[in-house]
Amino acid sequence: MTFVDLHRPLRRFSTRRRREALIGYAFILPPLLVFSVFTFYPFLHNFKQALYETPPFPNQPSRYVGLHQAGHVLSSSQFLQSLTSTILFTLIVVPLGLFAGLLLAVAAHRRLRGIGIYRTIFSSTVVTSVAIAAVIFGTFMDPVVGLLPWLGINTSPPLLENPTWALLAVALVTVWQGLGLSFIIMSAGLQSVPDDVLEAAEIDGASPAARFWHVTVPLLSPILFFALVIGTISAFQSFGQIDLLTGANSAYLHTDVLTYLIYQNIQGQAPNPGTASVLSIALFVMTLMLTLIQLRFVELRVHYAQ
Amino acid sequence: MGTAGAFVGTGALTLAILVGTGGGAPAGAASNPGTCAASLLTKSARPVNIVFWESTSQSNATTLTNLTNAFNSMQHSVHVTLVQQGGSDVTWEKYQAGLSNGQLPDLAQIQDTDLQGAIDTGSILPAQTCINTNHFPTSDFVPQLLSYWKVRGVQWALPFAVSNPILYYNKLAFSKAGLNPDQPPATLPQMLTDAMALKKAGYGSALKLDSWHLETWLASANQSFVNNSNGRQGRASAAAFNGATGRKIFTLLDSFVRSGLATTNSSTGPSSFDNLLGVGNGKYAMTIDTSGALGTIQSLLNGGHYPNVKLGVGGFPVLSAKTKGGIEPGGSALYIMKKSSPAKQAAAWQYVTYLDGTQSQAAWSAGTGYIPVRKSSTKTATLQTLWHSNPAFAVAYQQQVSGITTAATSGSVIGDYNDVRTAVLNAEMSMFQSGVSPAAALAAASAQVTSALQNYNQRIGS
Amino acid sequence: MLSVLTLIVLIPLYVTVVNSLLQPSLIAHQPPPLFPVHPVWNAYSTAWTQGDLGIYLRNSAIATAIIVSGQLLTTIFAAYAFAYLAFPFKRTLFVVFLSTMMIPFEVTLVSNLATVTQLGWYNTFAGLTVPFLATGFGTFLLRQSFLQLPGDLREAAQLDGYGHIRFLFRIALPLARPTVAALAVFSFLGAWNQYLWPLVVTGDNNAIRTVQIGLKQLQATQANQVNVTLAGTIIAAAPLLVLLIVFQKQLVRGLTAGAVK
Repeated sequence: MTFVDLHRPLRRFSTRRRREALIGYAFILPPLLVFSVFTFYPFLHNFKQALYETPPFPNQPSRYVGLHQAGHVLSSSQFLQSLTSTILFTLIVVPLGLFAGLLLAVAAHRRLRGIGIYRTIFSSTVVTSVAIAAVIFGTFMDPVVGLLPWLGINTSPPLLENPTWALLAVALVTVWQGLGLSFIIMSAGLQSVPDDVLEAAEIDGASPAARFWHVTVPLLSPILFFALVIGTISAFQSFGQIDLLTGANSAYLHTDVLTYLIYQNIQGQAPNPGTASVLSIALFVMTLMLTLIQLRFVELRVHYAQ
Repeated sequence: MGTAGAFVGTGALTLAILVGTGGGAPAGAASNPGTCAASLLTKSARPVNIVFWESTSQSNATTLTNLTNAFNSMQHSVHVTLVQQGGSDVTWEKYQAGLSNGQLPDLAQIQDTDLQGAIDTGSILPAQTCINTNHFPTSDFVPQLLSYWKVRGVQWALPFAVSNPILYYNKLAFSKAGLNPDQPPATLPQMLTDAMALKKAGYGSALKLDSWHLETWLASANQSFVNNSNGRQGRASAAAFNGATGRKIFTLLDSFVRSGLATTNSSTGPSSFDNLLGVGNGKYAMTIDTSGALGTIQSLLNGGHYPNVKLGVGGFPVLSAKTKGGIEPGGSALYIMKKSSPAKQAAAWQYVTYLDGTQSQAAWSAGTGYIPVRKSSTKTATLQTLWHSNPAFAVAYQQQVSGITTAATSGSVIGDYNDVRTAVLNAEMSMFQSGVSPAAALAAASAQVTSALQNYNQRIGS
Repeated sequence: MLSVLTLIVLIPLYVTVVNSLLQPSLIAHQPPPLFPVHPVWNAYSTAWTQGDLGIYLRNSAIATAIIVSGQLLTTIFAAYAFAYLAFPFKRTLFVVFLSTMMIPFEVTLVSNLATVTQLGWYNTFAGLTVPFLATGFGTFLLRQSFLQLPGDLREAAQLDGYGHIRFLFRIALPLARPTVAALAVFSFLGAWNQYLWPLVVTGDNNAIRTVQIGLKQLQATQANQVNVTLAGTIIAAAPLLVLLIVFQKQLVRGLTAGAVK
């Protein structure tokens, strides 16, 4: 049994503790500062600014209008269309991206000589940004200097000026650009699937399709779920490709996703930060809701390894 | 092109202006010279430094730099530092940022559509003040170019880089279609007729979707785009084009596109040059676009890669030969800031009068293709030589001065111009692509424009 | 199957390279040439000089370097504190860090633009980089990595007289190097490909403009010179391509972190 001197060891102990706490705070202070100024403050400021009708130019006062502005913005046809476009866009991009990545990963998951080259090729779109992909495909889809007439696609008006097809075109460009990342994630998932399970299924005589749907996919479900959540959030944040492919015509072409609508309200001739704040809150709520819904309903079907 | 001579001449002219306006200062100038007076400059021993935010594109930036260098070296009262913003939209955005953080220039080149916005910021020193203080004569200026930037009797800025829409066409295509290659269509109805002949010969026409064109067709018929004298006598609060003239324009455009005679392309984004590119590769026989693109198009087509094209240039096909109207100009002007010191304001004014001087404007027009803002510039050797050897460059100026000067032909003054233009474009596209009737499309455009105008007015608190 | 998929992935990139080497008048040809018989290389030099891509690349490099080193530094220290130090409200503060992952950047855009403008950072490298100098996700990952190190490592070091800094940099960090490398690559990718924020906070005379926005500028000014525009995209993608080839393992690790348990 150790004799505890009630006075001196305790004081030394608390000084050391205090010193450690100070160091701890010092270490987390810089990022905390950045977060406070550039994440939490602007997030909360949205709620305040949403209640004010802001003037077009900075050197004039704002007018308090309460929830009137929010009601006006959220019921406007512009917002409702933007919401529809965003949801449609996400519905096309996410499942297609997941499926394509999975397909690529399965195709490259073999012990062939030189399979490494295929794997590098399949990951290659990860070096393109949405801007690069948008400029490339924007050129291809140009009706005068592009490739579409040669491919026999002669819609009138041209794809990127066509309200029926523009969203699909932008979505497909997004999917292509995301192939690399999707492949990398799915591939990593595949590699963690134990081979013996797959082999056992093969020995049992299951067809490739059955093996895929009843063995591979359930085993991959954690990573599929991860990719689903990340992919949805990312789709909601899409901006660059819309700006470069449809730009100022996005409203007419039904490609003005929420992020683009926010951008239009903070840039331009007569910026409207009040409206932009309302839209930002809407974007946050939508993203949060979608993530929660996925966590609540989709995660149930995920088979985590025992 | 005699630019060296132009610069020497400009330098002499600058000295003359500096000396002249200094001598013209009112008596008692020592105590209160008045805002913008040139006498404020002669007081300082060292040159006054001013910063000029200019919006030129890369090709025109060189011409401006040359002019500015000449100005800086020809006199020692003022030194101008150029800051290239890379575009008029960028200049406006930086300007708005500057309003909240105080980083503003002394002089800025701001585009036409931001006129009402600039006035509403309350941060501009009107050129009128400088004109009055210095008894600056403006009779030599092209009246329509001055009137664009004059609102409720106040000249807010002097024009600088101005252009207007002209017709680009392929003379070889016209010949092939049996049309006179030296007689491009002078009216919109004629344009449609010619397009039919061209179609039979295998050529299309291109219609760039730009609300500017609608406004210009209205102006060519002396019709206002918005109310309150096109926003010049009071804030614009409603659209004014939902009448017979507007319907005629929309009906003609509708049949132009829906009968397959014309193909449309957007004015922004990757396909914004398709109409001009199409003229180059023989797909289109004619299109309307800004006179500011003439230099680029000519150098493109003279490269020898497009043997089937001989470029012709005509004036903007007006709505009707029977109504006398005008061609509204577009472009940018020079704005002096209120918050600059009096000496800097005076310095900026000196530079402005230099840039808008006869010789400078001749050099500027020759180097960029913009319309010279002074009538005397057209008599200089520089422009006379250029226009003699390349008459296409004279078209924009000639159609500008031959029009009448009214509120309707001077262009509209609108706060959130982009919203208004988007409304018109949406209506046009619904007409071309979704089969909406011209009358309905026009009414929809009118309603949306009115709503956009009122929205802006409400936010500005008036 | 493999070849079909390869074609789908590679054809756009292949056509881009081919078209960047063609003369502009040939690009609009029907059918388009599949191989540049007489390659014209000046598209690349035009994009570099006239299109200012060299300057944009430099700007992107500077901004990315600042963001990556900033993120690494703040993350390393914060992760260490959360993993090894004891201080009041540690759990709460960690949740605060994690909660930043729930707030997408686009949601904070409006006020951040106003903040940066008022600080006088509009159109400066400060404005371009400071909002991104910390990452909640990175802190979470690195803390995880630290926690997976042997528990008595810290005590052993303490007995040897190692202070916090020395332990962090001499022992903990080298052992967590894979995670740090992964974070660095992930951070690089994110910073290099940024589009919305640079678009909103710059827009000027080339002093700050990054390569992604430079592409937009290039597209707008190179009307008929499609080959120049496409050469520009190849130039913009080149640094990342090098990254992919040299750091493929770290790249994969960085991109899949959090996905595979």
